[in-house]
Amino acid sequence: MTVHTLRPSLPTRPAGSQLDVAGELLAMLSEVQTEPRRNTQLEALTLAVAADLPVLLWGEPGIGKTAALTQLAESLDLPLTTVIASVHEPSDFSGLPIIGDDPATQGVPMAPPDWAVRLVQAGRGLLFLDELSTAPPAVQAALLRVVLERRVGALELPPGVRIVAAANPRSSAADGWELSPPLANRFVHLQWTHEHDVVVRGLGGTWPRATLPQLVPESLSEAVIFARRAVCTLLAARPKLVHQMPTTETRRGGAWASPRSWEMTVRLIAFATAADASRDVLSQLIRGTVGDGPGFELLTSIDRMDLPDPEALLADPAAAELPTRGDLRQAVLDGVVAAVRKQPERARWNAAWSLLVKAVETGAPDLVVVPATTLATLRRDNWEVPAAIERLAGVVSVSQSADRAAARVAVEAGR
Amino acid sequence: MTADTTGLDVEKLYAARLHAVSARPYLATALYALHIVESPRVPTMSVDRHWRCYVSPRFVDRTPVEELASVLVHEVSHLLRDHHARSDRYAHAHDLTGPGERLRMNIAADAEINDDAFGDGLLWPEGAVLPSTLGLEPGQLMEDYLGQFRLGHRTEGMAWLDCGSGADGSDREWDLGPDGADGLSEQQRDGVRFLVAQGIAGRPGDAPQGWRRWAKEALHPTQPWRDLLGAALRAAASAPGAGEDYTYRRPARRSTALPGIVLPSLRRTPPKVSVVIDTSGSVSDDELGSALLEVAAIIRAVGGRRDLVTVFSCDAAARIAHPLCQAEGLTLIGGGGTDLRTGFTAALRTRPDVVVALTDGQTPWPTHQPACRTVVGLFRRERAWRHDDPDYVPDTPPAWARVVEIG
Repeated sequence: MTVHTLRPSLPTRPAGSQLDVAGELLAMLSEVQTEPRRNTQLEALTLAVAADLPVLLWGEPGIGKTAALTQLAESLDLPLTTVIASVHEPSDFSGLPIIGDDPATQGVPMAPPDWAVRLVQAGRGLLFLDELSTAPPAVQAALLRVVLERRVGALELPPGVRIVAAANPRSSAADGWELSPPLANRFVHLQWTHEHDVVVRGLGGTWPRATLPQLVPESLSEAVIFARRAVCTLLAARPKLVHQMPTTETRRGGAWASPRSWEMTVRLIAFATAADASRDVLSQLIRGTVGDGPGFELLTSIDRMDLPDPEALLADPAAAELPTRGDLRQAVLDGVVAAVRKQPERARWNAAWSLLVKAVETGAPDLVVVPATTLATLRRDNWEVPAAIERLAGVVSVSQSADRAAARVAVEAGR
Repeated sequence: MTADTTGLDVEKLYAARLHAVSARPYLATALYALHIVESPRVPTMSVDRHWRCYVSPRFVDRTPVEELASVLVHEVSHLLRDHHARSDRYAHAHDLTGPGERLRMNIAADAEINDDAFGDGLLWPEGAVLPSTLGLEPGQLMEDYLGQFRLGHRTEGMAWLDCGSGADGSDREWDLGPDGADGLSEQQRDGVRFLVAQGIAGRPGDAPQGWRRWAKEALHPTQPWRDLLGAALRAAASAPGAGEDYTYRRPARRSTALPGIVLPSLRRTPPKVSVVIDTSGSVSDDELGSALLEVAAIIRAVGGRRDLVTVFSCDAAARIAHPLCQAEGLTLIGGGGTDLRTGFTAALRTRPDVVVALTDGQTPWPTHQPACRTVVGLFRRERAWRHDDPDYVPDTPPAWARVVEIG
């Protein structure tokens, strides 16, 4: 076991000795400043650790995983225990068999190592299992039991202990570290990379200090409802995403979607929502749990979930607030027209026109062209054209101008 | 989209966007997600990595709607294809600095986009950089082009070319930066890209080849085959029974110091590897040579001694395999026939820990799983066609083998 302290304090020596001067120099070198900076990977790690899910950090050696863990332990106020897997034997994790006087009646106890005993006695702590990938397979197998079952020999780690493991990526691991799909499915996979600017600035004397997400007690129940709704909305519409075993060699050992990992996703979304974490953090957590494809689908579905409900907009077009981002606004307007098509009534048709007018008055007119054309085709014989439609004149001129351009291109192409 | 509109003819720009959307419906989400910013300092139109599009009012005034539409499609293509990040990665990997190199990246990115972006309802903008302008083959990626040309007389007219930091990754003075208004966050950018890719993959008939390839890559990124083959081979060669692992077959050295405790000892068993080369005449010498060299290097890396590696080859492959194996100090055992199954049978007689088969897959596979781990290096081929049986479809490799597509 190696317990990390960032700044070694040297014992005082007689004045004037070379070591004294060296100590002075070392002290000057270790004087660094910190500055606040957003760090999404550290925020994602904090939330996953807080959610008590097994985390696997993937990253090349020497890019500051341990330093990040030190900061995390500080902010969660947990003592950090770092265990370098490659210098241990399997029995250090599965327990040392000790043969007593009479094994047949007393059994063979599996004695746990000292660090585990101390962790259990403390009742809380952050256990960092580093360099999983450079350990021999038997050690890796024993370590996975620690991470997933939280057992070291005969000892069970108390709930206050949080575990994080780290491994080198498959392409750089010399000893063929690889997770089988069932094991990979139990982890939150976080990619750890270094940022060039941060490293250069850090070596210059200023390291970033991340402000870590804090759970807000008032928003807990809301977070749970949101998380469940987010995942269920997507899976109800896309049953295929519930279970997707990785089949290609590229995706081996990474995150993939299964009921188990979706359950982990619900938990992570709830934590991210309760901590009011940014979408980038949420994105890392979700994709690290169910994989990139299903993760992106969930994220887009969450984005769409935030959009105003077409029925609510039709009920009260005057109070409607349309999103400013063009693609989202387009999605909302399409949704409104689709709702009118599904249930065509005169009042709803008129309300939709007022929404389109509102969209033209508050944003780009070209977004309205397609919805307006579709809406016009939904007209029934006895419905009168609303007066507000005159305010769509800008749309017509933009549309005509585009049509003329298309015609010119067609002529050009025909030549 | 909201815009600061003092001198900019936004209506013309909106008409251009509408034209672009109707010509390329699958890019609609991306085109609408662009945030238009008026900027007199921009020569024409340029994008930054946060999906803002800086537009010069004078450029809009003097350019017809149809050409503006093409330029918009071009600019949004830079963002969708992640050219700024790819430029940064390329610059990082090749240690390139300076504005000249960034200009070269902008040109290469343009060549990647333009070879199938226009036509079919969109006008060819004047002076668009094409692979043929550089004297290169169309249909390649920016990274491929970057290795093939230098700034010179062919690119003289392109010095004014500026698609912004969204294209080549180097910041411009007019960029609003990450903290500026209305930029898209990384997650939002990924989301837009994902939606567009999904749209293209859902209706592949509408999109040109380059966009379909992009969508496939965006949804299922591929890894270089060397890494995959290495990982598969390393995993196979160091799984229990081979490689370095703990075993209870012998007591550990620590046991004498700790009476009463049974400890396993660390034992090293170098893996025994058999390589089966199957060429039914259709694998090129280059492909086979590079794959075989790769296998040899990986086996060496996992600690396989040369006397533990045997290569089995069909007669057709002996010509390439023989000199290579000699150079690598491997044993070559010839004559497995042209059927992969005979090759497997011969290889299994030596009781290896791992069998590596290098094949193009146009062959029957063994019906039973062999008693050792199997890695298949599969040379990618178009569908095979046979004179005697036009409906012939070669079998896919069996599920028990770990398959890595090569090339």
